[in-house]
Amino acid sequence: MKTLVCIECPRGCKLEVTRREGKILVSGNRCPRGQGYAERELVNPSRTLTTTVKTSFADFPLLPVRTDGEVPLDSIPALMERINTVQVSRRLLPGDVVMPQLPGTHVALIATAAMTALDTPASGE
Amino acid sequence: MTGVRAVHKALNKLGLAGIEVSSRHQAVVLEGEVESWDQYVAAGYAAAGKGFRGVVNDIQVNGLQGDTPYLPPDRDNSLEGEDFDAVIIGGGVVGCAVARELTRWNLRIALVEKEDDVAKQASSRNNGMIHPGLAPSRGTKKLDYNLRGNEMYSQAAAELGFELKRCGSLVLLEKPWYRLFQPAIKAWATKKGVPGIESISRQSVQQREPRVTSRQQGALFLPSTGVVAPYKVTMAYAENAVENGAQVFLNTAVLGFDMDRDRIRGVITNRGVLQSGVVINAAGVWADRVAAYAHDRFFTIHGRKGTIAILDKNTSSLQKYVLGMPQLVSKTHSKGGGVNPTVEGNLLMGPNAVEVPHREDWGTTPQDMEYLVQRLMGLNTSLKRGDIITYFAGVRACTFEEDFIIQPSDSVQNLVHAAGIQSPGLASAPAIAQDVAQMAVNILQRRREVKPNPTFRPQRRVVPDLSRLSFSERAELIRKNPAYGRIVCRCEVISEGEIVDAINGPVPATNLDAIKRRVRAGMGRCQGGFCTPSLVEIVARETGLKPQEVCKGRPGSNLLAAETKAPGREANV
Amino acid sequence: MSSMESWDVIVIGAGPAGLAAALAAHGAGARVCIVEREVRPGGILKQCIHDGFGLVRFEQKLSGPEYAWHDIRAVRDAGIQLYTDTFLLQLEREEGFVLTLQNKERAVFQLKARALVAATGCRERTSRQVFIYGQRPAGVYTAGTVQRLINIQGYLPGRRCVILGSGDIGLIMARRLTLEGAEVVGVYEIKAEPSGLSRNIVQCLEDYNIPLHLAQTVTAVHGSERVEGVSICRVGPDLRPIPGTEEYIPCDTLILSVGLIPENDILRPLGVELDRRTGGPRVDQRLHSNVPGLFSCGNALHVNDLVDYVSESGETAGKAAAEFALGGRKTPQRVPLLARGNIQYVVPQYLDLEHNAPAVIYFRGECTLSRVEMHLLSGEKVLMRRRYAVIRPPEMERVVLNPAELTESNEIIISLGG
Repeated sequence: MKTLVCIECPRGCKLEVTRREGKILVSGNRCPRGQGYAERELVNPSRTLTTTVKTSFADFPLLPVRTDGEVPLDSIPALMERINTVQVSRRLLPGDVVMPQLPGTHVALIATAAMTALDTPASGE
Repeated sequence: MTGVRAVHKALNKLGLAGIEVSSRHQAVVLEGEVESWDQYVAAGYAAAGKGFRGVVNDIQVNGLQGDTPYLPPDRDNSLEGEDFDAVIIGGGVVGCAVARELTRWNLRIALVEKEDDVAKQASSRNNGMIHPGLAPSRGTKKLDYNLRGNEMYSQAAAELGFELKRCGSLVLLEKPWYRLFQPAIKAWATKKGVPGIESISRQSVQQREPRVTSRQQGALFLPSTGVVAPYKVTMAYAENAVENGAQVFLNTAVLGFDMDRDRIRGVITNRGVLQSGVVINAAGVWADRVAAYAHDRFFTIHGRKGTIAILDKNTSSLQKYVLGMPQLVSKTHSKGGGVNPTVEGNLLMGPNAVEVPHREDWGTTPQDMEYLVQRLMGLNTSLKRGDIITYFAGVRACTFEEDFIIQPSDSVQNLVHAAGIQSPGLASAPAIAQDVAQMAVNILQRRREVKPNPTFRPQRRVVPDLSRLSFSERAELIRKNPAYGRIVCRCEVISEGEIVDAINGPVPATNLDAIKRRVRAGMGRCQGGFCTPSLVEIVARETGLKPQEVCKGRPGSNLLAAETKAPGREANV
Repeated sequence: MSSMESWDVIVIGAGPAGLAAALAAHGAGARVCIVEREVRPGGILKQCIHDGFGLVRFEQKLSGPEYAWHDIRAVRDAGIQLYTDTFLLQLEREEGFVLTLQNKERAVFQLKARALVAATGCRERTSRQVFIYGQRPAGVYTAGTVQRLINIQGYLPGRRCVILGSGDIGLIMARRLTLEGAEVVGVYEIKAEPSGLSRNIVQCLEDYNIPLHLAQTVTAVHGSERVEGVSICRVGPDLRPIPGTEEYIPCDTLILSVGLIPENDILRPLGVELDRRTGGPRVDQRLHSNVPGLFSCGNALHVNDLVDYVSESGETAGKAAAEFALGGRKTPQRVPLLARGNIQYVVPQYLDLEHNAPAVIYFRGECTLSRVEMHLLSGEKVLMRRRYAVIRPPEMERVVLNPAELTESNEIIISLGG
C-alpha cells in the first residue's frame, strides 16, 4: 500500500493506493481524476514541463513554454537539454507550436506568452 | 600623576600588572598579552590621559588573530610614477572634504580609496547627525571642530547641493532629579559655545513631540542640530572635488611609504608608487597603520561598532525632532544613540556601541537589534518592530584619548593626520577639511609657491534629483530626456535617467551599492526586490559589463552566477 | 501639464485583478482606463511560467502568461485604454480622484476619475523583515526576484541555493532553479507544517529529491562580498530559534519565500482604512473601501492562492466601481463581519445590507483544523453552517452568502469550531 498526494488540482487529496490482482485500487480521492492519476503515477510518473526558450528578440529575450501534455518524469533532464538549444525567431502567440514533438514523446512544446514588441501599443498586437 | 608610573598604577587597578609600559616619541607603548579584547581595550583607556601624546597599544590578545584591512584584488602599474602635490588616503567624508578644500588651490590632487567607492565605511554607516556640540568636553578638538563644522553646514549644503534638515534635537531627561541639573547643563553648554540651547519642561516636550515617551521628565532643546544623508554629503564633496580638478582612484590601497629619512618619498599602492608633495592620512579605522608606514604611529585605533535600523517612511510624520535620552553614567564611550528623522522622510534608530576587534566587521547581530528595540524604539511610542525596513552596522575609528587627531606630523615633514574621526566627525568635517587643507598647503609652501585655483567653483554641478523638483520641473526634465520618465526604483521613485547619471557621474558608480549611495535606488521598503534586476541590466548596458559581471559592491560580489541556457543554439524556430 | 482627461473608472494595475476589473467596468457601461507601471500588462503572471492557473475559471491548467493573455486580449479587443510604463506619482481626492502620473511620452500628466479600482498587488517580505543577521553580501534574494531573473531575463542568481519558506513561490522556484542547472540544498520552513500546496511539495521537491526541513529557520547569512553560507536553527513551538541548535550550511544564495505584503501605501493620502491582518483596505462585499468610490481587488486586498479568485474579485470591484461612477450611489448600510474563533481573517470586513446580490466571503483558518464547522451568525441566528474535513491556513476558503439572509443590522460573526 502506498500513500500518494494527487497533483491534478490544488486540493491535493491524500490517496491510498493498493495493487490487487493486477488492478490498482485507489481511495481518498475527492474526485474521479485521482484514480487516473494514481494509476499513471505507479506505472510511469509523468508531468507537464514548463520552462523558457531563448529568442532572438532583445525586447522579449525568453519565451515561456510548456509541454502540451505530460512527459515521463525521468525524461525531463534530457528534454531540458534539448529545449535549451532552441531559439525562437518569430513573434509567437500562446498556443503556437515551438517544437511539434519532443524527442521520445508524443507531446509538443508550445508557447504560452504573446511575444508583443515594445514599439507597438501594448493594447494592440 | 602622569608618566609610566601612572599608567602602571592604572593597569594594576584593572588586574593587568603584567603589561609592559614604555615611552617612545612621547607616546606610551603597551606590550604583553591579555585574555580578552575587553581587557585590551580597558588597558588602552587606562593608559590614556597620563601626559602622553597618545597610546600605542601593542598588547596581544590570547587566541585572537591580528586584524588586517580588506585589500582590493587588482594589481597593476596604472599609477606608477604619477606625481601629485597632495595625496589623500581615504575616501570618507573627511578625505573627500579635504580633497574639495584643496582644490581651492592650483594643485594636482589625488584621493586614493581602497574600497570600490567613496563613503563605503563609517561615512555611510552613521546616523547622519550634525551634532550641536553638547557632548564633547571643553579643550577637546571634538568640541572645537563640532561647533565650527555645525555652523558651516548650511553653506556647505547650499554650495554642494545636499539636503540639510535643521530639525533640532530634544535631549530627554530620564529621571525627575535630572531637572535639577538642567540650568547648570544649559549654562555650561552655552559657555562652551553651543548656540540657542533651551530648557524645556515635561509638558512642553509633550506638546512639541506628541508621541514622545512618557518616561521623559523634560528636555534640553538644541536648535542647531541637523540631519543629513552622510553618504550623499561625502559624494557631494567628492564630486565637487573632481569637478574642480582632483582625481579619485578607487580600488587603490596604500601598502606602505618609501621614506627618505623624515620625508615620505613615495606612496606605495597596489597600482604602483606615487610621488607626492604632501600626504594626508584620512584612513579611518586604519589611520594608525598608515601612520606606522611613516614610522609615526603615536596612537592606536580600536573599533567600536554601531548598528542602525531604518524605519518605513510611513512613520516619518510621527516625529519632528531628533530624540535621545542619554544615561548620565554611561557604560560605553558613546552617546547611546536615539531616534532621528532623516532627510528622505524615514526614521532612523541607533546607533549602539560595542567594542570589536575587527575593524571592518559590519555584521549585525540579534543582540544589537535588541538594544535598538528595547532601549531606543520606545522614545517614540508609535514605533514598532514591524516598521523596521533594514539595518546595518559601521565601525567607528576610536583612539584611546577619545579625541580627533588633526595635526601635521611631528616627525614626518610632509604628512598631515586627520585621524580618530568618530562622532561628531560628520558634523565636524567641513571645519576639519578647512584646517587640514591649510596644513597641507603650509607644508607645500615651504618648498614652492602655491597659487589659488582661478577656476575653483564651490557650487557642485546640478544633477537632477527628481524628488526635490515640482511636477512641472519634473515634466520639463522628462521632455528633455525621456529616460527620466521611466521609474526603476518604485519605493523611492527613482528614474532610469538618475541612475544613468549616477553611473556616468564625476565619481562613476560601477556597482549597485554605489548607485544606492548616489540616488538611493534599493533603499526603500522592498529593499531592491523590484529594482535589482533592472539595475543589473542598466549597469551592464551603460558600462559594457556582462550582466553576470555586475557586482553589488566589492569585486567578488557578483549578483548573478550565469546565463540560464547553454551557449551555442542550434534549432531555430 | 496637459489638460486633464476624465474617466468614469480608472484601474491602477494591469495584472489579473486589474484586467478583470477593467473588463467588468467596461461591460457595465463605464468609460475606463488602466494605468500600469510595467512595460507590458499581465502583472506577476508574466513571470509565473508554471502551470496550474485557471482550473476554476477555465477548467484548464494554464501557465500564468496564458491565463493573463485571455484578459489582455479581451481588453485589447474591447478597445480599453491601457497606459503602460506609466508610474503613479500621487493620488488625491478632489470631487472624485485626481491621479498624477508620469511616463516617457507624456512626461507628467493628470487623470481624473469618478471611481478608482486599486489592483496594485503585493511586494515580497524581505530578509530584513524576518531579521536575518550578518553582513550584506550579494546573493540574498526574494523568490519573486529570482523568478524574474530566471524567467524574464535568463540568469541564474547562484549555483547552490538555500530556500527559506515553503510557500508556493519558494517551492516553484526550487524546481525552476533545479531545472536550469542550480543546486537547491534544501527548503527550510519555520513552521511545523509546509506553507504551500501539497501538490507543490510533490512536484517541486519530491520529484527532484530536494529535502524539506520543518521547524527550522535561517538566523544569519555568512560572507561579506557574496553569500558563503547560512546558519540554520531549529525553532520551538513559539517559532523562536532554540539556542545551541545552529548548523552551518555552505551555499552561495539565500532565497526568501517568507510572505507577501499587499501594496497600498499609495492610497494612504486618501484616508483609506487598512485591515491590520490582511494588509488591504477594509471593504464590503462589493469591495468598496471606506473612501467613497475607492475599490480594492486582487492581492492588494488580501493575499490569494488562486488567480481565479483574484479575477473574481476584480470583476466584483470593476462592476461596483462602474455602478458607483454612473450614479448608482445608494447609501450603504454596513454591518461589520467579524472574524472570531480560529479565523485568521475574513474578507469582506463589512456587509452592505443595501446590496441584494449574493455576497462572496473569503476566509482563512488560523491553523490546521480537522473536521471543523464554520458558522456565520447574526446575533443568535445562524446564517450559514458548513462542515470541512480539513482547513489549512495556506488554502483560502470561499463561501457565498444569500442576501435574503441579511436582514438584521447586528454585526455578523464568522467562526470555526469543534
